[in-house]
Amino acid sequence: MSRYLGLFVAEASEHLEALGRDLVSLEGTPTAETVDSLFRHAHSVKGMSASMGLEPIAQLAHRVEDLVDVARRVPGSLGRERVDLLLLATDTMLALVRGTGEGNAPAQQPELLGKLSEAVVALTGQQPRPTKVAQVDPLTPGPAAPLAARRFEIRFRILPAAQSPGPRAFLVYKKLTAIGSVTNLRPSLEDLRAGSIPDGKVALVLETDGGLEPVRTALGLVPEVELTSAEALVETAANPPAAAPAPTAESARTVRVRTELLDDFLEMAGELLLATARLRDIGRHFPEHGRPVLDEGVDRLHSLVKDLHGKVMGARMTPVAVVTDQLPRAARDLARKRGKDVEVTVTGAEIEIDRAILDAIAEPLLHVLRNAVDHGIETPEVRVSAGKPARGQLHISVRRTRERVVVELEDDGRGMDPEKLRASAVARGRLSAEAAARLSPREALLLACLPGVSTANDVDDVSGRGVGMDAVKRSVESLGGALELDSQPGRGTRVTLRLPLTVAVVQLLLVRAGGEVLGLPITKVLGAVELPEGALQRSPSADLLSYGQQLVPAHDLARLLELPPGPPPRTRPWVVMEAEEGTVALGVEALLGQEEAVLKALSRPLDRVAGLAGVTILGNGRPVFILDVPRLLA
Amino acid sequence: MPKRVLIVDDAVFMRNMIRDIFSSGGYEVVGEAAHGIEAIEKYRTLKPDLTTMDIVMPYKSGIEATREIVRGDPKAVVVICSALGQESLVMEAIEAGAADFIVKPFRAEDVLTVVKKVLGETPKV
Repeated sequence: MSRYLGLFVAEASEHLEALGRDLVSLEGTPTAETVDSLFRHAHSVKGMSASMGLEPIAQLAHRVEDLVDVARRVPGSLGRERVDLLLLATDTMLALVRGTGEGNAPAQQPELLGKLSEAVVALTGQQPRPTKVAQVDPLTPGPAAPLAARRFEIRFRILPAAQSPGPRAFLVYKKLTAIGSVTNLRPSLEDLRAGSIPDGKVALVLETDGGLEPVRTALGLVPEVELTSAEALVETAANPPAAAPAPTAESARTVRVRTELLDDFLEMAGELLLATARLRDIGRHFPEHGRPVLDEGVDRLHSLVKDLHGKVMGARMTPVAVVTDQLPRAARDLARKRGKDVEVTVTGAEIEIDRAILDAIAEPLLHVLRNAVDHGIETPEVRVSAGKPARGQLHISVRRTRERVVVELEDDGRGMDPEKLRASAVARGRLSAEAAARLSPREALLLACLPGVSTANDVDDVSGRGVGMDAVKRSVESLGGALELDSQPGRGTRVTLRLPLTVAVVQLLLVRAGGEVLGLPITKVLGAVELPEGALQRSPSADLLSYGQQLVPAHDLARLLELPPGPPPRTRPWVVMEAEEGTVALGVEALLGQEEAVLKALSRPLDRVAGLAGVTILGNGRPVFILDVPRLLA
Repeated sequence: MPKRVLIVDDAVFMRNMIRDIFSSGGYEVVGEAAHGIEAIEKYRTLKPDLTTMDIVMPYKSGIEATREIVRGDPKAVVVICSALGQESLVMEAIEAGAADFIVKPFRAEDVLTVVKKVLGETPKV
């Protein structure tokens, strides 16, 4: 059986990880789908470990399956302690499975097994059935026992008359995933959904204990589809599986790539873009007659490199679920420790974001979640006496806006009080009383991000909400994102992370100010106007420029940057931009044009300069700073 | 006994058309709803054998309504009425638990073929 060991460890671990994730939902109001999937995971682990002869794992999985089955029939019947027990069993099985992969035979777990059996007896009134296990030694090589026919190759065809082949094929796929687990799907799920199905033919491998009858029944109910063949795949020693069955439906056509390799690709594609721009610039110095040919070549090169860059960026996109899937379990474990009760819901986890950004927010997000459980959500008694439901709610929502991904974490806990934060910041010498008074309530909440400023009433409570929030804010901002806090005392807190979708290419508007060439991100530029000097309306607090229907605060960019002002022009261009607090106009000496640039992060000490978002190198080899306008004005 | 059908669509015209198709096929139309919320309520009281569901409707979309109906009754048979170009919405509806879908513009015989099949009224292949 040892030939299957690697595969067993990989697949069983995946099932167990999914089991651990989904178990948490049993305390709330799980969908029937979740409970079914829980049951399937436990069932798969039982089957796999039993055929591998790994009795201790198979027994645990069997009891877990029994308990999940109870929850399937009577929703909400398990309760917290039993979910705890199931999680413990899952973690134990995972450790045993991994140990098996390292050549350690799994040890019997009499105590845990006893508790699980007790729970089964208590809930069903029946003794659990013994677990049947194959008599094989999984860790030494030997002839493989033939496995029962559980895997079937299914082929079906979408009839040519079907008006929407994509949804049609997807419907069949969904019905089959309800029967068993689907692998080796051809075409891939993505192509299937897009309706790109050559000749309407679809093939897949279905793993199920129920035989083929349910498949025929399910397909019999779907119009415009014809089952072309269904064959059992029998795997024996003489006929080993040609390839490892793919863990997910789509992986038949995918490969795993180390993330560093993707980083290298991106870096190189970025350098290629820069090199192309440089080439184009050199071409400007060529004699007239040679130029069109060169330009044409450079244009072609540019479009190819841009495509390549886009593809590399696409390959780096990863669903947010990779990170958010861990959160419900983390919140629950922490809540249990603190004697609290929290339900975590997540929406929008399928939204994709650049891998690098995802990696960078994993820790901060966990931190925000911990803060919410630790300091936001109250104990059940406090909640009830405040007229709230005993169970706290934590909602994580991910949504995509034009060019950002917004991650929001909202709790219905005790909230934060801006007044207390103001007082605390002043008391700790972080801020003068005048400065504190000038802050809007929302700005005052951000004081929680200053190290040492906390709203915790108890002076002994060293881990106030502020601890770590400064780190969260810094990581989000270093990604080019922004952190916002909203809170109502007694009602709850919302932490919003606005994140860029990708790292990398920005469209710049190049301007000259104070004799320097500077880049402004075009996505933030609303427009530009040229006005004679003196066209501004002066008000005591700021100069105002009339733009469209509104009056916009106007700043001289050179002065903002403390650069020497240029000679007074008769007319000057103004760039109207989006900033944090609305629209602003920036006066410059000249508009120099648009450029596509690869944003490079600043390293020390330049990263400390407020108002610089990064640097890029123009086609002529000249470095140009890219301005972070909101922070420049802050 | 004829199978009982609930029709959900915000356009009266479409409801009338679908009603005629079902009546001609020997089904009994037991109710109509003009939006998702009404659909969920009528489903609960009428318990139809089959529900046709428009996707884009006021108050509550057909996808949401399907999700809630199927959550309350996993055996519910909801057939989505979609238009060409709504493929991704249809797939969302399938994720939400729709049993099948038909594509506008409808032809009576196509609709009845799908419905018969979904209700298991045609012999298995």
